[in-house]
Amino acid sequence: MNEIGGAPLFFLEFGDIVIYFTPFTITLFLLALVFTVFVLVSRPERQIDIAFGGDAYYAKEISLSELRFRRFMSIACGLACMGAMVTGDVFDFTLFVSLVGICNVGIVAAVKSRHVQNAAYQYGLVALAGTVPLFAAAAMVAATTGTLSMLELAKDTIQVPLAARALLVLGVMGEGMAPFYAAKAEMFRAPGAPYVIMCSLSSLLIFLRVAEVILLL
Amino acid sequence: MWNEYSIGLAVAFLCALIGSLALTRERDDLHKLLLIDLVETASLAVIALIGTDLAEALILPGLVVGIAELLALSQIYLTKEGYQSYPVKGLNIEVMMRSPAPVIISTFLVVYGIILSGFTGGGIAGLGVVFFLMSRSFCGNFHILEMASGISWALWVAAFFVFMFLPEWWYLALMGAALGILLKVITKMSLVGAMWGEPE
Amino acid sequence: MIIQKISRALSNFDNILPIFAAACAVMSIITLLSLPLAYHEDQLYPKQIVPGSPLNPYDRGGPPFTQAVIHSQYPANSPTAGYVTSYLTPLSLFISQHTSYMGTTIVAHPGGILDEILYNTRGLDTVVEPTILFIAFAIAAYIFRKREA
Repeated sequence: MNEIGGAPLFFLEFGDIVIYFTPFTITLFLLALVFTVFVLVSRPERQIDIAFGGDAYYAKEISLSELRFRRFMSIACGLACMGAMVTGDVFDFTLFVSLVGICNVGIVAAVKSRHVQNAAYQYGLVALAGTVPLFAAAAMVAATTGTLSMLELAKDTIQVPLAARALLVLGVMGEGMAPFYAAKAEMFRAPGAPYVIMCSLSSLLIFLRVAEVILLL
Repeated sequence: MWNEYSIGLAVAFLCALIGSLALTRERDDLHKLLLIDLVETASLAVIALIGTDLAEALILPGLVVGIAELLALSQIYLTKEGYQSYPVKGLNIEVMMRSPAPVIISTFLVVYGIILSGFTGGGIAGLGVVFFLMSRSFCGNFHILEMASGISWALWVAAFFVFMFLPEWWYLALMGAALGILLKVITKMSLVGAMWGEPE
Repeated sequence: MIIQKISRALSNFDNILPIFAAACAVMSIITLLSLPLAYHEDQLYPKQIVPGSPLNPYDRGGPPFTQAVIHSQYPANSPTAGYVTSYLTPLSLFISQHTSYMGTTIVAHPGGILDEILYNTRGLDTVVEPTILFIAFAIAAYIFRKREA
């Protein structure tokens, strides 16, 4: 088999779905783990507004429920990222990527501003549309090769059609669209900012992983 | 070689093409959501084209992901548009509010659903609960329902680990998973039923 | 100039969905052009129909508590795969012995090939799937409750 991310170090077997750790995926896995721990321990910054023409400033309060909810979503997103980094099954990978997508929607949608809600809605629509090419790609891989396991697909004898690979990339692009929105200044400056970083990090990670998957197939 | 599989793919992707073209032109946010739901069907068709038992097992997650995101997005849509009034106020039919008929029908549905068990059973029993909630315009505390849904999720994960690490206990795991999915679908359907009711 | 225009179009998030949908449309056309694709004949979990069986589209072998033969990816990883496939609850056993229409409702009872795939051999998929549902419901419930408040 062609080993893009290095030789698998060890395997974790869950029936047909075999999770495997290569030097490449283990690095990404640890990155996701470290950032999830950061989210777990960090406290959200409070946005400071300065009144013009005076010394007055006031900090925006973040309600406890919003903080809890966004922290929960960020941790779920981190866990989903870890799953997507190490899974060895194409369909399982697509499911983890969809989970990352919906967690990102949750992180953004918890903010109470209308403008941010609109952005979250538009992003959610793209994430939902992104599942179409994702699942279509996984199904085409299964139908044309007779297997979904990446370890089997990595063998040189099996040819995956180009269209299926391209659909997979398109689907991951749809799910990882969050930075397009998160990069907007309003979103980063929204109260409780550090959790938004998780959107960008998770998109980065799933893009890195899909590159490996595509080269592997 | 135009085998049956390729013909099926051609039809499915033609549908996806039409749906996507419609999406590029649509400007109304609600219609966008509905159109995407339509395009989802094309991806389910592509999964179904595998044509094995595996395909049937893969359709279930595919379908559930679509439904779940649809639910979350519809709630975001309501907030985003600032809709506060609830045009649907349960089934405000006086006979239904008073008579024991909804109780009997709901009990029948729930019992039948529990006998069936599994996904379908959960759907039927959940329908019974939703019908009851709607006929009584029940509103309020669904913390209990959320807790039950959390417990059923944990039950499912526990069953999965029994399957993976203690395979000889497969019977226990099967029953755990069947019970987990039954509880899960009942609570989820009831939550949906309670969520469109009147605010407290 | 062109980059400026593109970035302006991208920065307006009302345009993102149409752009993504256009990409999907282009991708559909590419897939259609690449079409006749070979179907791999040796599939996992193949379908078979046993004529006359009351369990019909899902009859995959044996009486309950015997191990049916199923074609999974890594048989060594699930040594008891096949028991769930052949299992029938007492109720479904009764129905299957007295009528010939059990097959269509077998998916509603515990046991059978679909439960084998969903719970056992591809169990991780099915763990991720309720997690997605769980997260989506958490979002919906949180937003619903916040709107009430």
